[in-house]
Amino acid sequence: MKEWARKITDEKVRERYVNEVIERFRDKIIRVERNADNQWMIEIRKEDLPEVIGYIINHPEWKETQLSTMVGADERPLRGKFSLIYWISINGASGDVFFGIKTYISEDDPKFPSVTPIHPGANWYEREVKDLLGLIPEGHPDPRRLVLPDDWPEGVYPLRKDFHYTDSPKREFTDETKYPYREPPKGTAVFPLGPYHVALDEPGHFRLYVKGEEIVDVDYRLFYQHRGIEKIGENRLTYDQVNFIAERICGICGTAHALAYAQAVEAAGGVEVPERAEYIRTVMAEIERLHSHLLNLGLACHDVGFDKGFMDAFRLREHVMWLAERLTGNRKTYGMVVIGGVRRDFLEYRRSMIEKVIRELREGFQKWADQTLSTKTFVKRCEGVGVLSYKDAKRWSSVGPWARGSGRDLDARRDHPFAAYKYLDFKVPVYKEGDVLARCLVRAEEILESIWIIEQALDEMPGGDILAEWKEIPPYQEAVGFTEAPRGEDVHYVMTGEGNRLYRWRIRASTYNNFPALPDAMRGNSVADAVLIIASMDPCYSCTERVQVVDARSGKVRVLTEKELTELSRKASRGV
Amino acid sequence: MAVTLKYPFVKIEAPPEYRGVPHINPRLCIGCGACVNACPADALLRIDDYEKGTRKIVLDVGRCIRCARCDEACPTGAIRMTRNFEVATLDRKDHVEVVELRLHRCPNCGSYTDYTERALEKALQILPEGLFDGDEIRKRAILCRNCRRKLTVDDAVEASREVVE
Amino acid sequence: MSGYERIAFSFIAVCLILFLPPLLDGVARKIKAKIQLRQGAPILQTYYDLVTFLSMEPVYPTERLAFRLAPYIAFASAVSAALVLPYGRVIPVSFTGDIFVFLYVLAMVSIAYMIAGFSLNNTYTNTGANREMMIMLSIEPVLGLAIGTLALNAHTLRIGAIPFAVTFTLSVLLAYGLLAYSVYVEGGFIPFDVAEAEQEILEGVFSEYSGYLLGIFKWALMIKRFALLWLLSSFISIPLVRNIASGALGGALILVIQLMVLFLLYTSIAVIESMNARLRIEQIIRQNAGVFVCSIAVLVLAALGW
Repeated sequence: MKEWARKITDEKVRERYVNEVIERFRDKIIRVERNADNQWMIEIRKEDLPEVIGYIINHPEWKETQLSTMVGADERPLRGKFSLIYWISINGASGDVFFGIKTYISEDDPKFPSVTPIHPGANWYEREVKDLLGLIPEGHPDPRRLVLPDDWPEGVYPLRKDFHYTDSPKREFTDETKYPYREPPKGTAVFPLGPYHVALDEPGHFRLYVKGEEIVDVDYRLFYQHRGIEKIGENRLTYDQVNFIAERICGICGTAHALAYAQAVEAAGGVEVPERAEYIRTVMAEIERLHSHLLNLGLACHDVGFDKGFMDAFRLREHVMWLAERLTGNRKTYGMVVIGGVRRDFLEYRRSMIEKVIRELREGFQKWADQTLSTKTFVKRCEGVGVLSYKDAKRWSSVGPWARGSGRDLDARRDHPFAAYKYLDFKVPVYKEGDVLARCLVRAEEILESIWIIEQALDEMPGGDILAEWKEIPPYQEAVGFTEAPRGEDVHYVMTGEGNRLYRWRIRASTYNNFPALPDAMRGNSVADAVLIIASMDPCYSCTERVQVVDARSGKVRVLTEKELTELSRKASRGV
Repeated sequence: MAVTLKYPFVKIEAPPEYRGVPHINPRLCIGCGACVNACPADALLRIDDYEKGTRKIVLDVGRCIRCARCDEACPTGAIRMTRNFEVATLDRKDHVEVVELRLHRCPNCGSYTDYTERALEKALQILPEGLFDGDEIRKRAILCRNCRRKLTVDDAVEASREVVE
Repeated sequence: MSGYERIAFSFIAVCLILFLPPLLDGVARKIKAKIQLRQGAPILQTYYDLVTFLSMEPVYPTERLAFRLAPYIAFASAVSAALVLPYGRVIPVSFTGDIFVFLYVLAMVSIAYMIAGFSLNNTYTNTGANREMMIMLSIEPVLGLAIGTLALNAHTLRIGAIPFAVTFTLSVLLAYGLLAYSVYVEGGFIPFDVAEAEQEILEGVFSEYSGYLLGIFKWALMIKRFALLWLLSSFISIPLVRNIASGALGGALILVIQLMVLFLLYTSIAVIESMNARLRIEQIIRQNAGVFVCSIAVLVLAALGW
């Protein structure tokens, strides 16, 4: 184990953090429980939420604390109450600790004091529990709908246990159900971007309020692609099946999700993973990072019209995809991670394949980086654009290269070592500038680090089993699993249930924490850079938007003639 | 050096490790339904008809997510991932494979059991010799649940009567 | 110059103006593909695209006449601009002062683009039109001053006659540089293609055009690029051979060299394009403002007789 890994998993360090919280809020804490090695659950009353969470998150000495996820659950069948857990982590290589601040909320009084005024990073989470569970954050600055579609009826809460996963309430789209976008600031025009836009790889709607070409303010509406994965995971799938659905949450970072889920269940059920499997998981996670970062860097080039860089990055990426295909049987959905280990072993010939590909990749990528960074027009477009200050990154609990480009020194691989990262040596690149260029540079350096991690992992990989046997997972155990996806920390929360099924599964993709910071990065920039800034966050919409069952059939269907359609769109375009 | 290929005008072969479209070999399928239980995406369905005495195993490739769990679960190797990846079609029915098997009929009462003839045959085949009373199991295995329960009760009653006498 | 020569070369000129630009575009696409290590579309692809566009009915997002007329105005202007340039020793349309006509009709192409953009209530087209306007306003003066400097040197107000009469001095050489720069910017090549930026504003005005209107508009812009580059290629090639080329054969020689230089220019532009990212509009304006100051200095140099 490496020196830093030993330090942050040091029991004394952890105890210091936990003791301080217990000491300080002795009279407010109802119960403290250690869920897993690095996870403490602290139960408090709901009135104390802002104070306790504010204390931990804004602690002046604890490094890079942040709201990792927040889970609302309908525990009425168990305890007759709803529950909320704010999971807060401490990062910056200073102790591997997750605090789960839990509180119960009764059905008669489904209100709780909002944490958002103290920590804006809780904004989306609290709107989400409002939409899906009907728990109302009091004092929330922006209580608009977040997750559910505009025409979803009031008072129907899909994540409550009395809502069956095949239910589909009657919906009608009227003027009243229209989403209340913010009024444009005085003297600005609205520049709509998306949901369908050539340079957005997935649907998301942005309203840029512009003066000339300068962006004054931004409003957005997302969650166009909920697939009800959490609900399906809780109702229809068994533990093992969830893994494969989890992998398909995202089109790019599937393994990170499958791994986070598997680790959550392993933590909850006390399943020991063989060491060889840990190494294989690490290699797969890094291969995924390689192709994801190459994709993002390529797209950054494409968004500024530098197609040579785009094509070259994608060609390099193609070799990584081919490698993944040989290793796992598919280019993208690897299907490697299962609870207890991995499914396919790295045979000798595969190992030499990896070595060959990453050797060539290192060479090719260095060439690519030299070429791109010496393209003056490219650097000119990226420098000083889309600046996200450290303060804003911290305020929104941002993660991944998006946050590391703004000087936040956090990386789940190092701060909460999972899989084989605790045995390996690597650097976490951090830049302070906070602009698009800084984020590109973070990604570029991470690619080289990933190659180095894969090389070490192949060298040090021990022999032995790749899959641990597990029989039964005890019910109603809670734990979080976390991975560093290419876009930042992914956190999966599970509460195990009976009958080989989950009771609650909460997925938090990295983009969920990054997205709310986007308006801060976009303000004051030019419309020309809007797409580039969005791309530099490396957004993954389908990861972020996973929660609710959406039925596309809403309202009446009428077939329009071509003429009517044209007329309609003309009207619509006047309305903007 | 250009790397783009003139696909689909040239043929492309997937690598040997590739997990492509699954395919059921109807000769090997015994209709046990292990694949149905394993499938996360509900691409595999088991449809029993106790009137006609048939079981259908339906594979809808359109729903399949190529996780290959069915491949792992199959006891006879009937369902296998192929290396085929070209599934575009104008008719959704082209995605569906159906294997229809006969359900076993209870020789005692004549109703259909919830397992197929082939599954029974396979189960008897792999029955380890010497470990159990083979004849006794063979006698019971061919019965439906109800008749088996009845036989067991009858046997027990018989045995106790013997003990009493 | 015989009447036959005039008719033959004018005919060739019209054919070149109308049908060469798509080929140039196809060549540029192929070159870019090769640089990016792709196979690329066939060289004739742009013709196929045009034929497809021209055979389709457009969808009108508005009933305004300006929207329908803009592509035709752009097309007519681009063709007129190309017609005042020399093809061999023949200038299809030539009269004193056509230098101004050239600049004017060239600007008309941009203006048609702006008219179309502002005739719609669409932020993308408006932004595209706005950008086109800013680029035009910042680069047309440079182009004007560059040609003006050359005209001053050649003592003629016929644009087609300038390359036959120009003598090389310091200011003329500098004017050539300015001319090349302004042709590149005005042609809307990367990094200056902001008005039609696909990723940023969905190709601006073109996001609302379809069918044959789109075809004509795209064709018009290709002809505009051709006219600009033909201007540059004529100014480069004619002074090289004007002393040895006489008669119809000499005209043919000039034409061949013009064509060769044109392809050379297009090729190098394709290479520059694929090596660059698009600039932001305010970066372009700042750069053009600097160049404009230079071009005034060059004009002063020329006036002083350097």
